[in-house]
This record gives sequence, C-alpha cells and structure tokens, in this order.
Amino acid sequence: MDRLTDELRRKIVTTLNLEETKPEDIAENDPLVGGELGLDSIDILELVMMIEKDYGVKIDNRELGAKVFATLKSLAQYIREETPGAAA
Amino acid sequence: MTNVRAYITGMGLITPLGKTVAETQCAILQGQRGFKRISIFPTPGDDAFLVGEIDGLPEGNGLPRTHILARIAAEEAMTGSEQPPGAIIVGTTTGGMAETEKNLRKHKPSPASYRYHGAGSVADYLASILGCAGPVITVSTACSSSATAIKVALEMLRQKRIESVLAVGADSLCRLTYYGFKSLQLIDPAGARPFDLNRKGMTVAEGAGAIFLQGADHVPENAIAEILGAGLSCDAFHPASPHPEGRGALEAMKTALRDAGVSPLDVDYINLHGTGTIDNDFSESAAVNRLFGNTIPCHSSVKGAMGHSLAAAGAIEAIISVMAMKNSMVPPNTGCKVPDPTLNMNPVREPLKKNIRTVLSNSFGFGGNNAAVVMGTPGNPVKDNDPTSDLPLTIAGRSLVSGAGFMAETVKAVSQGKDCKGILSEKELTRNLPAKTVRRMKRLPRMVLSLGMDAWENSGLKEGPGSLFFGTGWGSLSETFNFMTQLIDSDDQFASPTDFIGSVHNASAGQAAIQFQATGPNITTTGGNYSFEQALLTASLLSRGSDAPVLVIGGDESHETLSPLFDPSAPEDTARSDGGGALLLKRGTESSGMDLSPIFLEKSCDDGSTIRALISSLGGPEKLNFQYGALFAGIPESEKGFCHKQLNEFIKESDFRGSVIDYRKITGQFASASAVATVLAIAFTESGRIPEHLCDKGRSDLGGKGILIVGFGPYVTGIGILNKGFL
Repeated sequence: MDRLTDELRRKIVTTLNLEETKPEDIAENDPLVGGELGLDSIDILELVMMIEKDYGVKIDNRELGAKVFATLKSLAQYIREETPGAAA
Repeated sequence: MTNVRAYITGMGLITPLGKTVAETQCAILQGQRGFKRISIFPTPGDDAFLVGEIDGLPEGNGLPRTHILARIAAEEAMTGSEQPPGAIIVGTTTGGMAETEKNLRKHKPSPASYRYHGAGSVADYLASILGCAGPVITVSTACSSSATAIKVALEMLRQKRIESVLAVGADSLCRLTYYGFKSLQLIDPAGARPFDLNRKGMTVAEGAGAIFLQGADHVPENAIAEILGAGLSCDAFHPASPHPEGRGALEAMKTALRDAGVSPLDVDYINLHGTGTIDNDFSESAAVNRLFGNTIPCHSSVKGAMGHSLAAAGAIEAIISVMAMKNSMVPPNTGCKVPDPTLNMNPVREPLKKNIRTVLSNSFGFGGNNAAVVMGTPGNPVKDNDPTSDLPLTIAGRSLVSGAGFMAETVKAVSQGKDCKGILSEKELTRNLPAKTVRRMKRLPRMVLSLGMDAWENSGLKEGPGSLFFGTGWGSLSETFNFMTQLIDSDDQFASPTDFIGSVHNASAGQAAIQFQATGPNITTTGGNYSFEQALLTASLLSRGSDAPVLVIGGDESHETLSPLFDPSAPEDTARSDGGGALLLKRGTESSGMDLSPIFLEKSCDDGSTIRALISSLGGPEKLNFQYGALFAGIPESEKGFCHKQLNEFIKESDFRGSVIDYRKITGQFASASAVATVLAIAFTESGRIPEHLCDKGRSDLGGKGILIVGFGPYVTGIGILNKGFL
C-alpha cells in the first residue's frame, strides 16, 4: 500500500461524508462511480475540487474526469503523473 | 359554468439580445449571439468564460439586478393596461443574490442592506410599483421557475380567483450561478451550441420576461395569444441530472398537451429547453422522439443565441414562442452547425417562414422539476377544458418539527404551558433518516425529509404523495453560506458543486420527491413569512380534479450568520428558533376528520380593505364566529405595530369572540412558524380544546369549532381548520 493511495482513501471518505464506509473498504481497482460506494457525478466533481485544492492538480472537464476517477488506482496514478517529484 | 380561458394581452422582455420584445425578436432572427466575457464582477485569473450579460442597465442604488430586469419586462408588458394586475406570480432563483454577495464581501452587518435578498422580494417590489393588491406568489423551481409560474397563473384564472395576472420570470447573473455552473463543468467555453455534435455545455445568462394574462370566456380585442395549457412533472431521479430517457420531460409535455386539449399532431413548433449540455439535450431529445415518433414538428432552442437565463428562461421563451406565431417565423437554433446524429433531432438552423398556430415550450430544472407550456393563436378552435369539481382538501396526515421536538413532544410541551422555541439538534432531526440518504444534505433538506416521512406515516395511507409543494422563507441557508464562504476564502478559486446544487430553494423538495418517487407537480414557493401559505394556495390550485395525496411542507432553518441578516424578525439578541410543518392532503368526500379551507392570500392595502376581504372570504362575521373557536395570529416581530393594528381591525370588523393566540410567542420567530402553528391548530381542533393557558377570553373547549390561522403584515393570509360535518 502506498501513502498517496491511503491518503486518498481517507480524503474520499471525509470529503463525501461517507459515514458508513471505512477508508480501507475502498478497493484500488473497484469502480468509484456506480459501485458499492454509491457515488455519482456530483461526488466526482466534489473530489475534483478537493484534488485541485490539496494536490494542485486540475481536472477541468468531464471526459478527463471520467478517465481519472475510474478507480482509486487511476486517480492516484494521474496525481503522480501531474505532480512530478511529489508523493511516490 | 362558463369556461375561462387565459389570453396574453401584454408581453415584456429584456435579454442579452435586446431590451424589448421587438429588439430581442429582431436579433434572434438575424442569428445574433448575445455572449461576452463577464464584466459585472471581477474574475480572478484570465479564465473568465462567455456569459449572456445585459449591458447598460440603470443604476440600482441597492436594488439588485434581478429586480431591475423584472421591472423593465413588467413595465413593457403592462404598457397600455389601465388596471394593475389582479395577481403577480414570479419565477426566480437568484432574487437579490448579486447584491447580497457584494454586501457579504464588504461585511455589511445591517439587515437593511439585505432587504432585497429574498427571492420573494422581486414579486413584492413589482406588486408595490404596479399597485397589485391581490395574491402574490414566487415560484422557485430552478430553471423551470417561470414556466411553472405560468401554470400557476393559468390555474388562478381558470378557477376564477382573479381576472388578470402578471406572470414574470427574472434572474440576474451573480457569482453563485457563474461559479456554480463552472464547478459542475457544464459551461461550453465557445458558447452554448444546443444539439450540436460538438456541444460542451451551456452559457449562463440573465434576463426577464413578463406576460400579462387576462381571463375571459371570449377572445379579448387585444389578445396576442392564448395559453392553452401547461404540464408539470418531477423526475424524482437525481438532484441535478435529468433522467437519461427523459422520463419527466415526456410526462410534462404529455400533461401539457392533455391540459391544452391538443394532440401531438397539432403542434406546429417546439421551443426546446435545449441548454447545450450533453445530458439535457440527450434526455430532451429522447422524450421528444418518444412523444412525436416520426412526425417531430419543427423545433429549435434559442439558448445558443441568448444563453440560459435560468428561472427567467420559461417566461422569455414563452414570449419567443408567441412571437413565432405572430410573425410566422421559426427562430433559429443558433450555435448548432452539425446536429448530433445520436439525438435524432433536426433543429431549424436558419429563420424559417411558417404558419404556426400551436407551440409547445419546454423548461426543465434542478430537482427534476419540469414544466411544459402550450400556446396558441387567439381563437384557435380547441376543446374546452373540463371544469373539475372542487372537493374539499382533507387533512390525511401531519407532522411538525420545532425546538421542542417532533409533533408529539411539541403538542405536549405547548399543552403544558411551555413554548417550543429553539433549534432541534441535527441528531434528533435525522433520527429516522438513513445516513446514506442524507450524507450530502445539510439542515433544511434533512428537516424537509423528516417532515415529509412523518406526515406520510401519520396518515396511515399506503399510497405516497403524488405531488409536493414546499414553502420556505429563506431556503437552504447552510449550503448557501458554505458555498459563498468557500468562494470568498479561496479568492474565487473554489466552489463546491454539492453546495451549489443544495443551495437552490427547490433542492429539498426535489430530494423529498426522490424519497417518495413523487413524479407529479413539485413546486417550491418562497415569500418570507408567507411562504407556507403560498405553497398551500399553489397546492390547492394544482390539485383540482385529482384524488392523489398532496404533500405540503413549510420549513426554514436558522443560520447563525445569515438568518439575522435576512430575516428582520430574527434579530441576534433573541433566542434562535426554526422548524416547520407538513400536511398530507387528499381531496375527497370522507365523512370524518378535518378539512383545510379556505386559503386566503393577498397583499395588504393600507385602507383596511384586505382585512374586510378576508372576513368576506370566510363567509362574513356571523359564519366566522360560528365556525371558529380560536384565532392563531401570525405577528412577525419586525412588523409588530402594523400587525396589531390589523389584528384589532379584524377583531372589530368580525366581532370575533374566541381566544386570540399570538403563536410566534410559542414557536419563536422564523418564516415558516405558520406551518408549525397550523399543525398545532389541527391537533387542538382534533382534541376539541385549546390549552387553558392560551385562552385570553374565549373558552378552552372549542365546542366542535375549528381554528383560524391568520398571518398579518405586508400580506394577509388565512387558513381555516374545520371538523368535517361542522358547517
């Protein structure tokens, strides 16, 4: 488990007020939208804001968002690619 | 009974394309686009996007842009009319938001600076300048607001409550909508291109449209067109995204055509909602294809020319539709070059000469609130609308939330001589709601959901409500505050999409519709202390001819920072209170229980005529004293002096002999206190007595009589609670 992925798990739970979800329940390869978490497009946009605030990474259109937020893994990967030298 | 029909005899328009109907019409037919980078407030960085901003508005000196826009359109619509409108129905979402944003940024502490904040203040302002002394209602159902306002106006005329009505839609650009839609990534940087293959979103705009309607059983000489019918529906699907197959859009169009007495084949032109977003154009196209099959009439959206003016769009586009009939010209779908083949639509892309007798105009909004309006040339031979019988509204279920708790706790506290002021804890408020359902909701939607579920449970009915009406004085203050604070604190960098969607007045009722799968009309009304009464009146107008249960809710949240600024009756130095009440009503002929009737709502005149009109609507002094054993008086703190004068007039003119209870002394000061008072009145009417300590002169025993709830102040309202069989 890497640090960024774990951090993202916690941030997703707090940002989206997922009271009944534990961070470790979010599997790396499960779909973020439409899966068991019950997230929708509005949640993704809320995460877009959080990612820009906390990591300085902009995801400013819905097509890109759909790719980046496919899974927790793809999100972590995108953040790494866009922030060279940041959390590995 | 003769049929009253609704004729348009005046129209007014201000849009990014022109400041009158004629100017706008001319610019549309020339294919102009009214888009530019926003200039009414600075945007940090250089990423300002295109908007439909109106240049050269007169200085407001504190009067917000929405009010100015509404005035310009209303004055054009009333040109040549000798009488003021009998009623005013306004559709707006932003109200004074543009001015409030400026004031909050300057930390203005005085409530006087925020006197035009409320969405309802637009209608108040119009009623004052036009001299309207009848019912005034503000519909706030996001982007379908003013199309819905037209439906409410139509029903007022048909049911002969008034003889003329001004229906207005108005919204100005402000940071809330500019940054809100940006946070939803729904903006097309190149400007809206509805139904185009490469469309990327909408263009946020501002504007106003006003339609003066006259009810008549013959075509008036000055009739420009007729409102033939209108239909409302709710997706009950998602707070912000339309149902992908256009379920609600289809239902609204079908209902509108049925209401108008026309078939799909009669429609000559469809004025589409067509915002230019991927999702709207997709779902609207699906609905249009399903309704019209292989014979889709010619169609276009004008939002590629003038942008999306949100709550104003319905009224503006109704006028564009009338102009299309009048000039026999179909307006072009500006911005669309290559229609998206997956939509199976072929919008008119150049102005088209065509004889048009019947038009269908669509408006859809957040909360899944849909409206469609059908208009025709005057004298168009269509079938008469069946006048439906007027069965009484029976109270099937009720609930309340107060500082003392829910209904049982509150009734108990008040019966024991305590008050129910204060603020119920969030934990108590949501005790019966699943955490997953409410995770994105702040205080007001949680309250509304609790109220709705409790009222339904209380009714014991299996069937849930089909339609939903919600009155709120100030809307979702927590969401609004969070949105604005985050924006200010981040130098306009960050805006929360969740808070934006939650900030619209109709968000709570949209959530309740999802919970109940209530796909009928879903209307949120707002007008300060009279919001609940507006919702009740609207529910009564729109529930004729249906026996499906109707849920009517009134609710307001107290917010530490915003309530003392917005609500002049909620000063910081008294204890804060909030809450609301809900009624599940059903039209029927049951022999036991209680009825709610009548519902009176009129703007106060200084000469006392409004009080006399109220007494007369109750059947006169003798009947009033025979029917009602107690009076619950609504006296907002900020209007105390004026209200007591009106109350004394009422007692004198009606010779009222029962007890008079100033209910805000029990509930505390908040806009929806009347909803709590109404539910308390129902509980006391049912038990046959009011608590001893509340009786000032009348008897505690009601002797089978009912309770009358009267709101005083700039509006006079009346709600009667009566035991069935007690005539």
